[in-house]
Formats: sequence, C-alpha cells, structure tokens
Amino acid sequence: MEGIPLACYLGVSGGLFLLGLFGVLTRRNPLLLLLAVELMLNSANVALVGFSRYWNVVDGQVFALVVMVVAAAEVVIGLGLVVAVFRQRLALDVDALSSLKG
Amino acid sequence: MNVVPALPLMIVAGGACVALLASAGPGGRVRRDGPFWAGAATLIAAAVMSLVLWGDRQEALGGGYRADRFSMLLNLVFLAAAFCALLFSVREPAGVDRRGEYISLLLTSTAGMMLVAGAGDLIALFLGIEILSVALYVLCALEVWRERSLEAGLKYLIVGAVGSSFFLYGLAFLFGASGSVKLSVIGENLSVASFTDEPLLLVAMALIVTGLAFKASAVPFHMWTPDVYEGAPTPITAFMATATKVAALAAFLRIFGGALTDLVDTWQVAIGVVAAASVIVGNVGALVQRNFKRLLAYSSIAQAGYLLIGVAAGTLQGAESVLYYLIAYTAMTLAAFAVIIIREREVEDGEMVDALAGYGRARPVVGVVATVAMLSLAGFPPLSGFIGKFLLFGSAAEQGLWWLAVIGAVGSVVSVAYYLRVLRVMWFGTPAHGGEPRKLLTIPAPVLITAVTAAVAVVGFGLGASLLMDVCRDAAAALLAA
Repeated sequence: MEGIPLACYLGVSGGLFLLGLFGVLTRRNPLLLLLAVELMLNSANVALVGFSRYWNVVDGQVFALVVMVVAAAEVVIGLGLVVAVFRQRLALDVDALSSLKG
Repeated sequence: MNVVPALPLMIVAGGACVALLASAGPGGRVRRDGPFWAGAATLIAAAVMSLVLWGDRQEALGGGYRADRFSMLLNLVFLAAAFCALLFSVREPAGVDRRGEYISLLLTSTAGMMLVAGAGDLIALFLGIEILSVALYVLCALEVWRERSLEAGLKYLIVGAVGSSFFLYGLAFLFGASGSVKLSVIGENLSVASFTDEPLLLVAMALIVTGLAFKASAVPFHMWTPDVYEGAPTPITAFMATATKVAALAAFLRIFGGALTDLVDTWQVAIGVVAAASVIVGNVGALVQRNFKRLLAYSSIAQAGYLLIGVAAGTLQGAESVLYYLIAYTAMTLAAFAVIIIREREVEDGEMVDALAGYGRARPVVGVVATVAMLSLAGFPPLSGFIGKFLLFGSAAEQGLWWLAVIGAVGSVVSVAYYLRVLRVMWFGTPAHGGEPRKLLTIPAPVLITAVTAAVAVVGFGLGASLLMDVCRDAAAALLAA
C-alpha cells in the first residue's frame, strides 16, 4: 500500500480512543462527557477508514459515514436532555445527579 | 433489490411515523386514540409478516438484512414485548401526555431490535443497536417533569454511548482483521487463515464483548442498570428489561455463535468469566434491595449471566437453550413488572416491596401472577424458568464448563431468597398501618389481561417445552446455515 501506512491510522485512532476514554472517566460535566464520547466514536471512524484503504474495499468508508450520522443523532439527544435538565434547574454535574441510589 | 424479507422491519418503522403523525392529526379522537391503534395494528401486521416469512434464509437490502428462522423468532419476541409495553402504557402519565412520541419511539426501538436480530453485516448490526438505544434514551427521560426520569435518561445516554463506542471500535477491528463487513464472509475469512493468535482479532473480541456487556447489563458494565430501571417509566423499564436484553443476546449469538463460531476456544473463557461475574454480582446485589424495580434490575443482571452461560458453551445446544430462556425470561419478567405497574398507580411508593404487603390476599389474581413470575425467575419446576436454566447449565456442562454450571446453579439457589421474600411480603405481610392494603383502584383491563397472559405463557412454555424447543432448535440452526 502506498501513502500513509496502516500503523499511522491505527496509532491516531488508538490515541483518540484513549483520550476519549480518559475524558469519560475524569470529566463530570455532561457536555464534556458527550464530547469525550464523540472522540471515542470518531476514533473508530479513523480506524475504519484506515482498514478500508488497507483492504482496498469501500465498506469501511460506508460504515464510517453511517457512524457519523449516528453520532450526530446521539449528540442531539444528549444536548436535548442536558437542556431539559438545565430547565429543571438541576446541577450540571453528574455526581450531583444522585436521587437514584441504593 | 429484494425488500420483501425486510418487510416486518419496514412495517414497524413505517408504523412509527404513522403513530407520530396521528398525534398531530385532525380531530380530538384521532389525536387521542390514533397513536395507540396505529401502534397496535403495526405490531400485529409485523408479527403476521414475520410468521409468513418463517423459513429458510432470504437476504434483503444487499445482504444487510437476513430473514431466517432466527431473526423471525426473535422478531416475534420483540413484537410481543412491545405489544405488552403498549398495553401497560394505557393511562400511564408519559403514555397519555405524549402519546405520539411515546408510541412512535417504542416502535422505533423495536425496529432497531429487529435489525439487530436480522443483521447480515456489521453496519446493520451497529445501526440496529444504535436505533434501539437512542429511542430508549428518550423514552427513559420522557417524563421530563420528573427529576428521576431525566436523571435516568441522561445516565443511560452517557453509559450507553460509551458502550456503543466500545462496540463500534470492536467492530472496526473485526473488519480490519477479516477485511469484510459481511458476517458470513468474516466467518469464512477467519476460519481459513489461522488468525487465532492475531492480536487485532483478540482486541476486537474483547471490545465487542465489552460493548455488548454494557447493552446486556452484564458485569462489570452493569452499574447503570438499577438507576435507569428505577428512574424510567415502569412500562419502559419492562420493555428495556426484556426486549433490550433479547437484542443484546441476539447480537452475541450473531457474532460469536454465528460468525466467530470456529474461534470458540478463544472467546469461550472471556464470555464465561463475564457470565459468572454477572450471576454472582446480580444475585448478591438483589438480596439487599427494598425497591422492587431495583430488585428486578439486579435480578436481570443475574439473568443476563445465566443467558451468557449458554452463549459461552458455543454449541448449537447452547444457542437453542439461550433462545428458549430468552422467550421464557421475557414472559416472566413482563409478568413481574405488571405487578409493579398495577401497584404503582394505587400508592405513591408502589415500587417498594413493602407496598405489596398483604396485596396477594387483597387481589388474588395479581398475587398469583406475581407468584408464577417469581417462582419461574427463581427456577422452580415445572415452570419455564426452571427448564431454561436446566438447559443452559446442561449445555455448559456438556462442553466441560463445569465451573460455570456450578456457579449458575449456586446463583439460582441464592436467588430463591429474594424472590421468595417478595412473595412472603405479598401473601403473609401486614401493611405498615395494619389492616388491609391501602387504596385499591380498578386495574385497567389491558394491564390485567397482559399480566395474566404473561403468567399463563410462563406456565405454558414450561408445559409445552418440547414444542418450543423444536422451534428454538430450528432458529439456532439458522445461525450457522451458510
């Protein structure tokens, strides 16, 4: 394969995934959590496109396009819920959301 | 392009649009009753279509969707669970105020599950999982005036999205290791080359197990389950506890039982460990719960463990036991949630176990439904729960996984304690203020009928186990059919 080697795609993708995972584990603001999840989803896109080039088939690229739409839908729902929580004047901090316990 | 095999899926997706439009339609009557009838008609039409398509595999949507006995059988389970959820929602706050959205989202989620069960490639599989999850995130939070409902929705969204990311990353690696997104081609490509020691494939399998464990609420990714089950509107909880678990297990079977079946030695232990941990954590967690919804949430974690024991066996026998137990589990869980739904409308703290004190004596029918559901969940013969567990543990033992079978059996013995506690409170308990249980309202007929039907199904699946097993065997065989 000419051009960028597969290892570079996978390196970038793995880095993004771990960055996203780190964000999910450390952040407490739902907006930042959504951002971190977005990073994780898009890291998979990078991997998909890289593999798609490696195997020389377009399936992976189609998959990546589908994932983009899905990720957008997920973020829209997430933002909608965050707005609803804000309207209820609840704290925007997932640790403070703790009426469900046991 | 052949679309006929995908018709059940399309009917449900179309019905979701019709239900939404009906709620904005002309005339008060259409707006009030339209969505419900549109939903009911859609589910029945899709079930009929699934029965018509029962037979050998037909592919649709360029191989992205496969209508075979496996997907059609699961279609019927999803549709039945959605129908029950629809009937449970009659006069439920969220179901009344936002009928259109509520029923439309319920149908959308069902369509996503059907896509998972019939997925022919990784794209359809991921899309199905996402469609079902995204619709459920909204359904959980649909009672926006209730803080706990919103909290449940947001928690479910964030945890679910992380689970989806793991799952997707795993699928990306699976594509990378095999060079195809088609499940059938993946199986072939991986079985000719000896890829078993390929690190890429190992990472892919680990990520996929992680992602699906989130969806099936298996340990160690189960923490969200009690919170979300408690906060969501109860009919939605019932739908989530049954249909979502069926969909997640369907994905497990499609990937591990179907495509990666030749690599069973590689993934068997991983799934076995997840299964064993789920059985232990779920059963121990349920022992101390005072809230009935949370108790059922922990119980559902344990049930996910029992089901994964069958997946871990990795044989045809294991797959058919999983299918049998999924059907039985759906019936008994719906019956159990019906009791909460009935009680919840009568008293404010209706979801607590103590609110059921003496309720069995006051309402013998509901008491009997609860008794059947609890005994079956605990695994008393001759109910279907016992037969299902027996088959699952048997299939594991046959593969030499004795440790799994023993953990499963010990787990079910422990579970008897908390299931019977509910029944003791119900039949022999006295309400805190003494005398008769508070406030007995009339139960809406659809809810009661559904509850009784589910309980009858639990008994019926037990008595007619051999018939149902034949159907499950055909369905499981379709997984491996080339």
